[in-house]
Amino acid sequence: MWLRNVFLKTLRDYRIPILGWGIGMGLVVVSPMASVAALVTTPEARQQLAAIAASFAWNADAVAVTTIGGYATFKIGIFIFLIIVWPILAGSRMLRGEEERGSLDMLLSVPRPRLRVALEKLAAMWTALLAMGVLIGLIAFAGGRQFGADFGLGDALVFGLDLALISAVFGGVALLISQFTEERGPAAGATAGLLLIFIVLDMVHRIAPNTEWISRLSPIYYYNLSKGLIPSYGVNAGAMVLLAVLAIGLGGIAVWLFNWRDVGGTVLLPRWLRLPEHQASRVLPVADWSLRSVYARSLRTIAMPTFWWTLGIAGFAGWMVYAVQLLETKLSTLLSGNAAFTQLIKNIGGGDASLNAGFLSAMFVFLPLFLMAFAVTQVNGWSADEQDGRLELVLATPQPRLSVLLGRFAALATATIAISVITLLVCAASAAASGLQLNGGNLAAAILGMIPLGLLVAGLGYLAAGWLRTAADTGLLSFLLAFWFFVSFIGPELNLPNATLRLSPFYYYGSPLLNGLQLTSILGVIAVAAVALALGAVRFVRKDIGV
Amino acid sequence: MTAMIEVQGLSKSYGSKVGITDVSFQVEEGDVFGFLGPNGAGKTTTIRLLMALLHADAGSARIAGLDCWEKSVEIKRFIGYMPGEPALDPNLTGGQILEYFAHLRGGVDQAYLKQLIQRFELDTSRKFRQYSTGNKRKVVLIQAFMHRPRLLILDEPTSGLDPLNQQEFDRMVFEARSEGRTVFLSSHVLSEVEKTCNTVGIIREGRLVRIGDVAEVKAIKRYEIQITFANPIPAETFKTVEGVTAVETLNHGNGVRLTMQGPADAVIKAAAHYSVVSLTTYEPSLEDIFLRYYEGDGSAAREANNVA
Repeated sequence: MWLRNVFLKTLRDYRIPILGWGIGMGLVVVSPMASVAALVTTPEARQQLAAIAASFAWNADAVAVTTIGGYATFKIGIFIFLIIVWPILAGSRMLRGEEERGSLDMLLSVPRPRLRVALEKLAAMWTALLAMGVLIGLIAFAGGRQFGADFGLGDALVFGLDLALISAVFGGVALLISQFTEERGPAAGATAGLLLIFIVLDMVHRIAPNTEWISRLSPIYYYNLSKGLIPSYGVNAGAMVLLAVLAIGLGGIAVWLFNWRDVGGTVLLPRWLRLPEHQASRVLPVADWSLRSVYARSLRTIAMPTFWWTLGIAGFAGWMVYAVQLLETKLSTLLSGNAAFTQLIKNIGGGDASLNAGFLSAMFVFLPLFLMAFAVTQVNGWSADEQDGRLELVLATPQPRLSVLLGRFAALATATIAISVITLLVCAASAAASGLQLNGGNLAAAILGMIPLGLLVAGLGYLAAGWLRTAADTGLLSFLLAFWFFVSFIGPELNLPNATLRLSPFYYYGSPLLNGLQLTSILGVIAVAAVALALGAVRFVRKDIGV
Repeated sequence: MTAMIEVQGLSKSYGSKVGITDVSFQVEEGDVFGFLGPNGAGKTTTIRLLMALLHADAGSARIAGLDCWEKSVEIKRFIGYMPGEPALDPNLTGGQILEYFAHLRGGVDQAYLKQLIQRFELDTSRKFRQYSTGNKRKVVLIQAFMHRPRLLILDEPTSGLDPLNQQEFDRMVFEARSEGRTVFLSSHVLSEVEKTCNTVGIIREGRLVRIGDVAEVKAIKRYEIQITFANPIPAETFKTVEGVTAVETLNHGNGVRLTMQGPADAVIKAAAHYSVVSLTTYEPSLEDIFLRYYEGDGSAAREANNVA
């Protein structure tokens, strides 16, 4: 049944992301719901929570934050970008990815109009996004029921629909940009850059007065006009229609351009918009450092993604350090009066929330999560290389299998260390610029301490790649990441047993910004990573390649 | 002569699917060995076992006296390998790919590398993904030859190459042989193996069914001639002609399809007695040849037991 037409086949290809992304993002939405009840035990506590949220209006509108739906909506805030990662990847791969692989030539050789093929693929992506939206809505509804929320199933589904629509818009942007690029990577990168710009544009009107006109340039603004999980706020049907029209328009233009251009070619930009043409040299690149070893080659391959992830992680950390100092007075007043919020911050950050460092510690929990997500994306490349046969010729050279694997791992470890060191430097500079007093040793421990967590994910990924294909390997690691985050983020609120909390590496990361690193814990993480890598190496050295 | 490749009782299966079963053969140093078989016969499995990309279920494979699995790194120092379906980083240029593999091999003679690039007229400035199928194969072919390996293992090397480059490849194989190097190449085209190799092994459905010198190929080689005449001719005209093994009458006697073995001289002379409109000759696929040659009599199994 699933191989009957292009639409069903494409939808079939999306089945793992639909489940993985839908459930994972659903859990992300539900995570904050668990803590609301404890935060609003008294009228004073409610007021203080609202005031704290208002202080973080740059993150999201502080609407009805004392309700479960309102608090969850607020907490998702700028983390909307996490949800939009998949549509960006899917949009950039949909046509350009298949062109790169050469599989589109075959598909377009069947007696079916090119326009129809592209439309069926686009419709499959929209259907997948809708299915993810429904899953997220259902999980949000189930979470809401569990914690006594006031929104119903319809509200939760509308929330999911809003997410699906904003995702479809950025999927459409990626698809459109991919008509102008030779590879899917730059299209995805450019769309991710645009997403960040749009998030900032949307943020502007919440920080500076009379700037709503700027925010209206951002699709995120229209997404935020509907808040399905807050029944008292309701839904802006006009904004949702606008998002739908945008998604259809962008997708439509992209498909029209695809129908018109050469397969494998690009739509030519006007001359003034084109980058200067790079004249490739016929001289052999004998002195190119990146061709000297598997390690150097791997390092060069991940240089660009490392750059973007560094920008994101270091930028986020630097901004948090800067923002905390700006909010110092307000925070210390507010946090000291709200025992529950203080406790929550303590649970997440692991220390005394009356300090700036306490709040910062809670925010820094996201840093190892991001670094681990980076590791997932890079491990994905390893299993894809084997699956696509790109390891075959490398392994036909006199390079031991072990050194090929370790070369790749070392490159990933180098990138992980580079991201962490740069993040540390940015945070130190940010603290110096804002005058924030932080314990330098603890700051270094908090940021450099996330390196073992990144390596743990890498080690587990290399181990799983010994048996699993790319999609399953990535799915497993993504699931583990979501599970660990869920356990660590709401585990203490749900009074999960200590044995369960210990399953998450975040437990061993602790709260280094406040307490420094627990050497034995972090050595334990390193040991598990080393064992995983060793087992992965043993498997790789013995396994059949490409089978 | 000493054996460069020794394979003994090699078997490999993929779950319930059999790759190869009990394959044994030997390739002498300096030989050009053609490994012949239809698609899916087990050629690539055998080659990937020699390259230690797969681990054998049973049997042994040795190259230059070294175990292919245990001593794979040492062996790969003197092997040039070309996979059947080359996959490389699509964003590297041809030049970058060649330099990368040169480094992984511990360096190569740059002058010789440039010479190979010139011989194949390869534009090394283009990215791998921008190459045509033929140019992609040229890149991989050059990387297989660039370090002057003692042993070349080439999986369907001429597939996708144009006739001129096929000729260049033939010359390179000839040169390799004249320098005393060994070539192990797989193919599913009889005439190619016949032209290039001096020893041949034939594999079918995972079993080695025949092995010997290239003359052995001629024993099973069949080709077809289709002749169209201006007027109907008697069918029995070609039945007793030397080299004809089967005759099929076409177009109510206006044409014949002859299955041939050996020279066509007698057929041409017989046809010349009539007014010929057209004459076409073609080589059937290896599988067709096998189907006819081994049809129903179980001789494949018998011969497999008598391989050299």
